Amino acid sequence: MVVRQYNEELKYLEKINPYCWKIKKGFQPNMNVEGVFYVNNHLEKLMLEELRNSCRPGMVGGFLPGVKQIANVAALPGIVGRSVGLPDIHSGYGFAIGNMAAFDMGDPKSVVSPGGVGFDINCGVRLLRTNLHENDVLPVKEQLAQSMFDHIPVGVGSKGIIPMNARDLEEALEMGMDWSLREGYVWAEDKEHCEEYGRMLNADPSKVSMRAKKRGLPQLGTLGAGNHYAEIQVVDEIFDKWAASKMGIEMKGQICVMIHSGSRGFGHQVATDALVQMEKAMKRDNIETNDRQLACAHIGSPEGQDYLKSMAAAANFAWVNRSSMTFLSRQAFAKQFHLTPDDLDMHVIYDVSHNIAKIEEHIVDGKQKTLLVHRKGSTRAFPPHHPLIPVDYQLTGQPVLIGGTMGTCSYVLTGTEQGMQETFGSTCHGAGRALSRAKSRRNIDYKDVLHRLEEMGISIRVASPKLVMEEAPESYKNVTDVVDTCHAAGISKKCIKLRPIAVIKG
Amino acid sequence: MIDNDPQDSNHEQLPTTNAVPDTPISWTYGDIVPAVVPFTNLDHTADVQLHAWGDTLEEAFEQCAMAMFGYMTEIDTVEISECQDVVAEGHDLLSLLFHFLDECLFLFCADPFFIARKVSIVEFDRTNFRIKAVAYGEEFQIGKHPQGTEVKAITYSNMQVHENEGKSEVFVIIDI
Repeated sequence: MVVRQYNEELKYLEKINPYCWKIKKGFQPNMNVEGVFYVNNHLEKLMLEELRNSCRPGMVGGFLPGVKQIANVAALPGIVGRSVGLPDIHSGYGFAIGNMAAFDMGDPKSVVSPGGVGFDINCGVRLLRTNLHENDVLPVKEQLAQSMFDHIPVGVGSKGIIPMNARDLEEALEMGMDWSLREGYVWAEDKEHCEEYGRMLNADPSKVSMRAKKRGLPQLGTLGAGNHYAEIQVVDEIFDKWAASKMGIEMKGQICVMIHSGSRGFGHQVATDALVQMEKAMKRDNIETNDRQLACAHIGSPEGQDYLKSMAAAANFAWVNRSSMTFLSRQAFAKQFHLTPDDLDMHVIYDVSHNIAKIEEHIVDGKQKTLLVHRKGSTRAFPPHHPLIPVDYQLTGQPVLIGGTMGTCSYVLTGTEQGMQETFGSTCHGAGRALSRAKSRRNIDYKDVLHRLEEMGISIRVASPKLVMEEAPESYKNVTDVVDTCHAAGISKKCIKLRPIAVIKG
Repeated sequence: MIDNDPQDSNHEQLPTTNAVPDTPISWTYGDIVPAVVPFTNLDHTADVQLHAWGDTLEEAFEQCAMAMFGYMTEIDTVEISECQDVVAEGHDLLSLLFHFLDECLFLFCADPFFIARKVSIVEFDRTNFRIKAVAYGEEFQIGKHPQGTEVKAITYSNMQVHENEGKSEVFVIIDI
């Protein structure tokens, strides 16, 4: 990394409007395009603070500051448009989390990078609605939370309870949600309200290692740990009544269920395997990057193609996973209220991915191009009338589900035309970490966190209570800040705010 | 808390490659479990950096594996009832460490769902970058072993291996 004085570094950064900064070429070597990041005043301070700290002599760490990472991504071959940092951006492996980068499929030099997708392939959020009101649920909240916790396997070492063998896994990897539909775990309408209709067609299970399959099989249908969760939420505020009603949200106090989970050990193994392959490919094909962690391969190379096919299989795994948990959640509610999930109107509002690479059509400099869009910690946010979004949302734009941190709030946004132009239809994904886990463990007491949640009237079921402080809201940026910035910048529009009343975590 | 019974489901057993050593090894608890724990966790926003050390590089590697297991559960609760072989290969010291930790992680994530109380390197071939080790511990059981944090992957991020006379240390960032 180029190390300059902080004041020198600032010369390459320019604030172009109250919510947007530009990173000029030259900030890092070999930048092919400019970088840009969206922040408000508060988030801006965090970004610049991170940069200032890294300019101090003797600072050697595992990850570079977010602004440097955006610039390093801008130096990758084949990138078009700009390397975009969303408001929840924070340092990650190679690519920052909250970084979008699109590559021209027509350029043979263009690369695909597993670091631009993330280890947890197709980590995403699904939102179910119900026709219940908070008043219906409050009297039985504890039992309902317990029931969800009993139905959904969570935490380290947990295993799936939906019966599967090796052959089922192969089929699930290839068919995604179509497998869940065939097995009777989801409704046909659920597929409609899912990105890619819950199945990436180019998935090829034969490109996935045996090791990944062995890791994945026992974990199918489990929630995971860390920042994954299932929450029973209440509609707290409706910003856009008309769009909300298209999603089936009619009133404040309406109960929803949000599931945040990914492809578990399977996706992680696929990403790890790919990184090892690509390091070799980079030497062979003479691909140079500013950072060893930005391992990549030409999209057309065998390694690139294999990765895209196995990434698609991992994406399918995650959709099957969220579908299994949808099934289990519906069962938990049905048992509690002695009504069918259909009677409870427990439909899927939408399911989004925030760690994925997709082949999409976009306008670049006035021309239509096919791009490989990497979204790591970034959610797709397509505008109204886009052909890839469901019929139900053609007029409103794609719903964007933003999971908040434990005990705070979550949001539903809609995609905008401005976002389509500025960020290739991408927006934030959540809150983004502010404190390291070690710092959280040292400075925050888990009992305080649990106590505070109780005081807010939130029932919590956690597999590892002693680690709950790593997930405390203080460890994260403020999700409202992040969402308000996206709204003010015009890249997505606020629609609904949700507040949790029960949290199930690993 | 749920009681997940591994025998309950219709999981078809995928072929496994772990072999238990032929000659039974006898040990006493005191031989195996160190009194002071030579590893720690360092600061990082998204992930965790493990820092392990020892008198020799072998020890540092062993303790790094233990640091990783220590993140997933409380090692004090793990009894020693069986052992598992670990074999890893790399093309340099960093990739050797990477694959060694990856093999240990894999022992936990898939069958045999094994958590180690102690890891002993029996062979450390520096020319061919190969390690053979034995991990002593037992199968992870929800209810018996507290659920800690899940380790998703080992990364090469700022990985460092320092070998010095009388003290060796390693730094590894793991994705959680």
